[in-house]
Amino acid sequence: MILADIKQDFYLNFIKEDRYMWLVDGLKTTLIITLFAVIVGIVLGFLVAIIRSSHDKSGRFKILNAVCRVYLTVIRGTPTMIQLLIMNFVIFGSVSMNKIVVGGLAFGINSGAYVAEIVRSGIMSIDQGQTEAGRSLGLNFTQTMRLIIMPQAFKNVLPALVNEFIVLIKETSIIGYIGMMDLTKGAMLIQSRTYNAFWPLMAAAAIYLALVMFLTFVMNKLERRLRTNERK
Amino acid sequence: MSVNKDNVLIEVQGLQKAFGSNQVLDGITTDICQGEVVVVIGPSGSGKSTFLRSLNLLEVPTGGRILFEGTDITDPKVDINRHRQKIGMVFQQFNLFPHKTVKENIMLAPVTLKLMTKEEASRRADELLERVGLPEKADTYPDMLSGGQKQRIAIARALAMNPDVMLFDEPTSALDPEMVGEVLELMKELAQSGMTMVVVTHEMGFAREVGTRVLFIDDGKIQEENTPEEFFTNPKNQRLKDFLSKVL
Repeated sequence: MILADIKQDFYLNFIKEDRYMWLVDGLKTTLIITLFAVIVGIVLGFLVAIIRSSHDKSGRFKILNAVCRVYLTVIRGTPTMIQLLIMNFVIFGSVSMNKIVVGGLAFGINSGAYVAEIVRSGIMSIDQGQTEAGRSLGLNFTQTMRLIIMPQAFKNVLPALVNEFIVLIKETSIIGYIGMMDLTKGAMLIQSRTYNAFWPLMAAAAIYLALVMFLTFVMNKLERRLRTNERK
Repeated sequence: MSVNKDNVLIEVQGLQKAFGSNQVLDGITTDICQGEVVVVIGPSGSGKSTFLRSLNLLEVPTGGRILFEGTDITDPKVDINRHRQKIGMVFQQFNLFPHKTVKENIMLAPVTLKLMTKEEASRRADELLERVGLPEKADTYPDMLSGGQKQRIAIARALAMNPDVMLFDEPTSALDPEMVGEVLELMKELAQSGMTMVVVTHEMGFAREVGTRVLFIDDGKIQEENTPEEFFTNPKNQRLKDFLSKVL
């Protein structure tokens, strides 16, 4: 009896009229926006982190550092949701722009602020002696940063970065507010057709969970590999 | 002491360094000539490390000049990176790059700065590892080495740039006592090969045996400088006498 009900609900929510495709299409959107945002976030975050920590260490980039600080304060001090709405209705309000770009930029700029602080803490955690050793050999600032400081800093902050991207994946679930169908919105659309909340929302939750677990698994592997090659 | 002005490598003229209102170096003037082994001693906080670190501008002087091979390297217009290539430095804390193997540590700078091809640098690294007595450690990571081994690798890394002078900042102070000897032995060999060296150390035995000149720095000034013989047997400065009575 119960089994038959479950079968019926499952059919109604996912199979009938290919409703599962809403989840599949939504998942695609979620993944594309996340990927876009991660790339923007990493580029922006590393840039800001390098500017900020160089300023802290040597006093260079005074103006750029001030710009970065404003960026960090504003982004971290306002809700992601508001930033997304501003990006959509104010900045791109009067021009037609692909929503994936709008969302990717909004989430990327948001994530960049957090990545910047994570990476900066990584750079600051590397002993000053490493910089001195590099510079004393005649390497310039950029070479020292690229070959000596960043590889070590990156290794140290990898877990925190992964955590940031896990947050990011889940945060994209508000993209529905600017009219995009992501995984969450897809589930809600099914719900509006079937008047059943349980199945579509559970399915969406399970997919997010699987995504995050997969990401954690891959990063754990990567982290272990990065560490073991120091112990030969 | 015969100082031949023709082969002066580093001329330090009235060197000053202040951290805020704290005057750490207060007018240091001395010449370092080719082939000299200048040992710098002094109580902690005397400014001896700051003096050494000023020589390759890891500390930027707040006054005075440093001429390296005739060029005033305190001039902001000078490309300090080019001169640093010729000034090797060895640190108290070794500062090996933990994410690189021993051999990569040695090859990194010459290859990055395009002074050698990978093959040349690799050959040079093998030579240097042989010279510091650690050829079997080429593919090891620094974390797996003892303190003494790390410091020998750090010396090899500095030598890979074929420097004209080597600066040592308390190279044995972070080592367990039984490892001090192997590092000092290597430094002694280096000195005998004719390398110009400036060594900040607490190893009085090394100063006496290997040094060609000893400087005593206190309160940011050179209080006394002399040949090791005179310096240790016939000190004139009262502070130096006090200092020696404590450490010898």
